[in-house]
Amino acid sequence: MLRNCCGLIVADDRRIQLGELSRPRALSAMPFGGRYRIIDFALSNMVNSGIRTIGVSTYNKYQSLMDHIGTGSDWDLDRKTQGLYLLPPFINSESYGMTGPTDDLSGVINLFRDLKQKYIVILSSNVLMNADFTELDTFHHDRNADITVMYNRDGAKGGPPNTILDMTRLGRIKGVYENPLNPVSNRSSMGVVFMERELFVQILGDAISRGESNIDIDYLLKQYDRLRVYGFEFKGTVLRINSTQDYFKETMRVLSEPERSDIFWPERPVFTKVKDEAPAIYSDSCVVEDSLISDGCLIQGAVHHSMLFRGVTVSGQARLTNCVVFQDSHISEGCELENVIIDKDCIIRPGIKLIGQAAYPVVIGKGSVV
Amino acid sequence: MKKELLAMILAGGQGSRLGCLTREVAKPAVPFGSRYRIIDFTLSNCTNSGIDTVGVLTQYQPLALNTYVGNGHPWDLDRSNGGAFILPPYQHMAGSDWYTNTANAIYQNIRFIDNFNPSYVLVLSGDHVYKMRYSSMLEEHLSSGADTTIAVYEVPWDEASRFGIMNADEDGRIVEFEEKPAKPKSNLASMGIYLFNWPLLRRALIEDEADETSDHDFGKNIIPKLLGEGHKLMTYRFSGYWKDVGTIRSLWESNMDILDRPDDIDLRDKSWRIYSRNPVKPAHYIAPGARVRGSALTDGCQIFGDVEHSVLSHSVIVEKGATVRDSVLMPGVIVREGARLEKVIVGMGTVIGRDAVIGGRSDTSNPYHESRLCADNITLIDGGLTLRDGSVVPGNAMVHNDVDVKGAESVIVDTEPVPAL
Repeated sequence: MLRNCCGLIVADDRRIQLGELSRPRALSAMPFGGRYRIIDFALSNMVNSGIRTIGVSTYNKYQSLMDHIGTGSDWDLDRKTQGLYLLPPFINSESYGMTGPTDDLSGVINLFRDLKQKYIVILSSNVLMNADFTELDTFHHDRNADITVMYNRDGAKGGPPNTILDMTRLGRIKGVYENPLNPVSNRSSMGVVFMERELFVQILGDAISRGESNIDIDYLLKQYDRLRVYGFEFKGTVLRINSTQDYFKETMRVLSEPERSDIFWPERPVFTKVKDEAPAIYSDSCVVEDSLISDGCLIQGAVHHSMLFRGVTVSGQARLTNCVVFQDSHISEGCELENVIIDKDCIIRPGIKLIGQAAYPVVIGKGSVV
Repeated sequence: MKKELLAMILAGGQGSRLGCLTREVAKPAVPFGSRYRIIDFTLSNCTNSGIDTVGVLTQYQPLALNTYVGNGHPWDLDRSNGGAFILPPYQHMAGSDWYTNTANAIYQNIRFIDNFNPSYVLVLSGDHVYKMRYSSMLEEHLSSGADTTIAVYEVPWDEASRFGIMNADEDGRIVEFEEKPAKPKSNLASMGIYLFNWPLLRRALIEDEADETSDHDFGKNIIPKLLGEGHKLMTYRFSGYWKDVGTIRSLWESNMDILDRPDDIDLRDKSWRIYSRNPVKPAHYIAPGARVRGSALTDGCQIFGDVEHSVLSHSVIVEKGATVRDSVLMPGVIVREGARLEKVIVGMGTVIGRDAVIGGRSDTSNPYHESRLCADNITLIDGGLTLRDGSVVPGNAMVHNDVDVKGAESVIVDTEPVPAL
């Protein structure tokens, strides 16, 4: 367990847009895995690693994120001392109404300057895994590192943003490349960084004085020429959500083993906001195979290789194959859907046919009636 | 701070007719309906009716119930001002007393109730499955100017002699109360839900406690006493779904009602949610080749086999080639490959061995045969057990550790404590 460590979750990433899906919400508030939001993995990994003070930095569309994390009670982060801090852009009377980039950093530096923990873990929100950061701490001390970054070997296949690390044999970083045309290695940063809190505050202060206004985890890694920056390889399942296609592909991946067990079923549970739905009800005529189904669903049709979030209804004679259906959407009778992502609160009217491609799913935006 | 209405939930009973299911767990904490414990219905009714101060009186096997209710957070009862209170019996200068009966349990908590200085006190049972708007009951209580209002339920005439029957005039005013009358004059059964004006109840409890001939029971003593004193006792008619989950058969039936009469109990009603405390588990997984029909499932289940017309709680695993029919599986049950279950209730955390055959036709010669508690070919398997591969247990049997199985091989190979949550 990390006993002397605080955390920062960078809850959104300007480089990543999921089109229709990210229109109403920040990246970290994206629903994932049937009953979670993306940020649940970051928060749970931190809490399961012993971190009790967590800042969540976000720059826009954070209403659904605030809605979801609330006081942090679902992660036991509603503490009198320590707990959860939401860090929206810093706006004061001088900056109000000014155009130009928002100031994401001032709020972050104000919080972390005053904390007492010696170390900090920083997470980006587009990479999902189920990890214990204690190993990171051990590695960090073994190497006598200033900064340690977690990576895996996804480098060759990943679309942008993809931060490739060039490393010595001992794991020290000697080069950092963003979206290179010809990657020097397949080591790709997972956006997970461990370091001393004071060093973080110092680098952040530096960045502010250079006119930076956004949090950029790569900015920390690029200190490799003056600090001892090391890479730590993570061997478990890693899901990267950089685009709508990625989102669809990674969702389909967690339906099968070993990804399903790796992400959802280790000793470390993934915590999320509790919704008191009824149990899922399967009718006498339904056919469900190879799918993850959440509470509150009512299934009368056929569901194959799909993921249904809470409160989804699938009427009789409807057929879903390779579909992802968000909370409270309704699929009417006789619909035929294949390779479709349906956002929250949609109604698909009787007999509608929607066929996407595995590499290019059809996306139905939040609240649509088709 | 003064509260208008305070609820006291009687949750200390053993529920001995549920057999081994209530050996380590009080009846209100028995898992029910895939996602719930029985007491969830009463607690959620309180919250949904705007009652924010609830005393839960515990006595028999309180560990699971105390752990489950906790600070009342799942029911929005974690309040700075009011909230959920677990009220066990306690020691005092003159010694210590168990709760000897329903009225005595409330009597022993007069000081707790006085703290909130309520105008009205609602006395409830923690072991009924129903959805009732207590605030409507209070409105009727106020408009009728009653001293006490008792919820009643119309039961079939031929069953009326099994209940406490309220004989009321045409305005709903109770003229007589009869406990299990041989010749019932009415079919209005008391639901054990009482709304009292607190000053009146307070005095009645103190006087009843001093009466050495009294059994200190609401139905038997307090209600007749108030009637005898000429107070105005009114009925409050309830017509929705209501089930006293008192026996193994009614427990099985009311679980099946979720599948067969979904509109009656309507768990999907968003305006009246039933809240519960559940461990955080992933969405449930239905594997390729699995078959799930006519069933209720919840988070954390993993199904590789066949499930038909059954109610599964969280974290249940049904392995490949196993079939589960007409059964109720409580949290964490594992059904190993090739096992067959028919009309079985399985307690928390039990593992059914490979190719076991559980349930089906009754066999009176089986060592686990239980004619006293089991009926209708329902089989009951205790929680925390591991059943031998290939074991055979017929219908109307109850498998638990206390059965002496002389001359036959025990089907139990291992026992672990039943988890509290």
